Amino acid sequence: MTTDAAETALVAETAGSRAGSVLPRTRRVPRTGHRSVGERPSGAATAILLVGALYCLLPVLWVVVASTKSGSELFSTFTFAPSTHLLDNVSDLNAYRGGLFWRWMANTALYAGVGAMLSVVVSAMAGYALAKYRFRGKTAVFNMLLAGVLVPGVVLAIPQYLLMAQVGLTNTYWAVLLPSIISPYGIYLARIYAGASIPDEIVEAARTDGASELRTFAQVAMPMMAPGLVTVFLFQFVAIWNNFMLPYIMLGDDKLFPLTVGLSGLLNQGASQPALYTLVITGALLSIVPLVALFLLLQRYWQVDLAAGAVKA
Amino acid sequence: MRLSTGMKAAAIIASAALLMTACSSGDGTDAPAADGPVELTFWTWAPNVDKVVETWNEANPDIQVTVNKQDGGDPAITKLLTAVKAGSGAPDIMQTEYQKIPTLVSADALADISGEVADLADQFPEGVWNDVTLGSDAVYAVPQDSGPMQFYYRADIFEQLGLTVPTTWDEYAATAAALQAADPTKYLGTFSATDAGWFTGLAQQAGASWWGIDGDAWTVAVDDEATLKVADYWGGLVESGVIDNKPMYTPEWNAALNNGTQIGWLSAIWAPGVLEGNAPDTAGLWKMAPMPQWDAADPATGNWGGSATAVTSQSKHPEQAAKFITWLNASQEGVDLLVEQTGVYPANIPASAEALSEPPTFFANQPDFYEIAAETAKTAGSFTYGPNVNVTYSAYNDEFGKATEARSQAAFTAAVEAMQKVTLDDMVSSGFTVKE
Amino acid sequence: MTTTTPARPTAPPAVRRRRPGASRRQGAPWAFLAPAIVLFVLVLALPIAYAVYLSFRTEKVSGLGLGSGSRTEVWNGFANYAASLADPEFLASVGRVALYGVIVVPTMLGLALLFALLLDSRRSRATKFSRVSIFLPYAVPAVISSLLWGFLYLPGVSPFYYVFDRLGWDVPSLFSSNLVIFAVANIAVWGGVGFNMVVIYTSLRAIPSELYEAAELDGCTQVGMAWRIKIPIVVPSIIMTFVFSMIATLQVFAEPTTLKPLSNTISSTWTPLMKVYRDAFIRGDLYSAAATSVIIAVATFVLSFGFLRLVQSRAFGQEK
Repeated sequence: MTTDAAETALVAETAGSRAGSVLPRTRRVPRTGHRSVGERPSGAATAILLVGALYCLLPVLWVVVASTKSGSELFSTFTFAPSTHLLDNVSDLNAYRGGLFWRWMANTALYAGVGAMLSVVVSAMAGYALAKYRFRGKTAVFNMLLAGVLVPGVVLAIPQYLLMAQVGLTNTYWAVLLPSIISPYGIYLARIYAGASIPDEIVEAARTDGASELRTFAQVAMPMMAPGLVTVFLFQFVAIWNNFMLPYIMLGDDKLFPLTVGLSGLLNQGASQPALYTLVITGALLSIVPLVALFLLLQRYWQVDLAAGAVKA
Repeated sequence: MRLSTGMKAAAIIASAALLMTACSSGDGTDAPAADGPVELTFWTWAPNVDKVVETWNEANPDIQVTVNKQDGGDPAITKLLTAVKAGSGAPDIMQTEYQKIPTLVSADALADISGEVADLADQFPEGVWNDVTLGSDAVYAVPQDSGPMQFYYRADIFEQLGLTVPTTWDEYAATAAALQAADPTKYLGTFSATDAGWFTGLAQQAGASWWGIDGDAWTVAVDDEATLKVADYWGGLVESGVIDNKPMYTPEWNAALNNGTQIGWLSAIWAPGVLEGNAPDTAGLWKMAPMPQWDAADPATGNWGGSATAVTSQSKHPEQAAKFITWLNASQEGVDLLVEQTGVYPANIPASAEALSEPPTFFANQPDFYEIAAETAKTAGSFTYGPNVNVTYSAYNDEFGKATEARSQAAFTAAVEAMQKVTLDDMVSSGFTVKE
Repeated sequence: MTTTTPARPTAPPAVRRRRPGASRRQGAPWAFLAPAIVLFVLVLALPIAYAVYLSFRTEKVSGLGLGSGSRTEVWNGFANYAASLADPEFLASVGRVALYGVIVVPTMLGLALLFALLLDSRRSRATKFSRVSIFLPYAVPAVISSLLWGFLYLPGVSPFYYVFDRLGWDVPSLFSSNLVIFAVANIAVWGGVGFNMVVIYTSLRAIPSELYEAAELDGCTQVGMAWRIKIPIVVPSIIMTFVFSMIATLQVFAEPTTLKPLSNTISSTWTPLMKVYRDAFIRGDLYSAAATSVIIAVATFVLSFGFLRLVQSRAFGQEK
């Protein structure tokens, strides 16, 4: 539920800060690095935060340590005693079925990258239409799109498979990409961002200048929505990256697998084969690295544009 | 299952829309063979089968086989059944465990290849061949490997504690108690509520056969006397605490194999590979013996695991596919490669003698490993599987999960009765003709 | 102003001024919406409709059920629904998930709020490190996180039990029947707390600093400020996180499914969605699975319907 919760949380966040935005619309000076002289650091507050950080880091730390252990050390030495086999494990993983792991990594990047990018475009268009036009059926369309969040992926997997099979798309990249493009949350957010960041006057001005609707959207609206769309991209990226059920059902060829499905397969070898724990753990570590990098690089973005979107509204 | 006309129309519109927005649809798996080689896809979970297949592909440019590695056992079957329902997406060739064959036949997922492979019958043990024909004239698969059960134990710890290898179940119980008395951290084994196939093997050894075909009707006997006897026996061991109650195939179980707290494992012929993977440092410390017996005068064993290779009903080239699986499972070259690359215990009798001349490397300390194995394999009783094995197995997980957690002997036999009820109810409500 | 009642026309025609290009603009929103609607219909609406259709059907086997043509699909009316609703395992799973939600949601949001307030407090240190660390679990897919926690839970390999053993404490296994729900809940909290923290933190950061300065002049302490200013302002976002977390709770599936083979205490129908999965994938009964899914979706809808209205009126109330 990590992903779902996070996505729902995001929706709630945006709506919530808008609700709070009846307050004076002044940009608050960021307080980090601007601590007043009289402010004593509180040991208790810091300690609680560090305990929370430890709680969240502990399993990740476990992955780091465990991935340095050999197969037998994993089950015989103390959990947090590191060993020296990280490179062996990586090279074992590298050797597995001719480097298939890297193919999974590339597939995942493709599903998440392309899927999230297309999702942003589709969501931005829909969100812009819902926020900036008045037309019959608008509420109905919006409600319908939003209702998509009520139906869990497990439920949809088989009907989706059966329909995909009718058009011969199962076991192809499209089987995973197409369903990833539509994101009710993305549309919801894009509507909020469009409403908050694009003044009606500017749209009107573009029209008066004779710009077509498409041109107005692409050249005027999109750039104004851009920071918000980065957020939509990030969430959809993580959601697709972590997705399991859809690719699991859709794909039979392991050369098309994303990481989640591939790694889970290494664990589920059936009774007559040993589970490949060291490979899975090393793979899990390597698969977290790109996302962590993405977080560290883009977290700044996140903070800024969510706040900006809310304050400007 | 077919889609209604409305659904079809919608699907056609959908496909048109997809093609417009989406360019080409990637390459499907079964390319037509108008000219050029026949291309076959092969779903299998055994490791390194692709290396075996390489040899075939080099020698047979006209029939090219592509391996798609699958998760072990169940998930691949689930995918195959979904593909069969959808009408497309299934591979040409499919590895399947024996117990799943009735389910697959019932879903019309397998092609009858009796025309191509019927003459192989006398190359396989009778019980195994029966598993791929379901006792009919049709042949739905060619057996690949079998999984006769044996007792695996830590010879070093047995020696150290002065324990003798149990030959009967009474002795097994006594040994388990003696071990606990000598060292309360150590167990002779565990009762695993997550491994239905393991319990089925134990029941089979006691003489159970949970399903049967009587004329035009199925019979269901999960709660037969033999199974109840087995459940009662294990319930007693678990309740008294001399046997552990934790599932197998968990990290914890792996740790127990490594540190010598699980010193015995009732397993099957493929056990060396699992032990080597999970506890590589214990090489040379394990030995294998025949299963403990209910009746020492009439030795028996059960099967756990083992699989066959089938041609699916969606294959456009069943003849070529049958040719390939005959080579794979019933030729000296194929069987040698299987043993060498995947470490399976081949079901094919003529080819196994040569292929199994050496003991597995993990059991190099036991030169007669495969001789004992061959002796025990002969004593496997026959067991008929039904078309809803999955329902029964999942009931096993749930019911025995509760019973082992409760550590109650009475709950063990109640669990068997619950399995019978769930199995029977499911068959009746699905519409199978069942003789009660 | 957008209304939430679909029956009411959204654009009052009387006050609309005709502008050049207005007719062209009539088609524009639909053109912009077209990709979303087409995809929605293809990958969500059609499968949903198909699932609903299947929920009224069943497959009947004849005879031994072997060979082709022995299975036919027939109408089954509401029988699948009746069977689901009467299934004690299903009802038990609903009760279990309710309890699970009671554990997870308040814990997760309570911690998220606490961490967010501490991050926002001027007296905390190591905030950047903490923020990134607490957010990190969001990057770990449920399939992997359950494996990690499995290793940390199982007494035979867990560092915690190693320590307990050294201390001579006899701590029961987290997989024992009373505790297993906490084992699963912990994974959900671990995975979700960071994200919700970031959410609440971001809305805290949107509070204008004048407000704090005024409060500080009034002699308000940090804790007092949190209670009297910060929490009331982020309440709307907490309420919404709450309901959306609740929806996610109803759909809990991945964590217990991954933990299941490690324990005796997680049954194949431990949560409602696990029952759907078992029926569809293990028993091969798509029809019952579809009916149960529809029940879950409707229940989710009923529970969140009032809330969605609230979200809409709050979030889009100011849109012209």
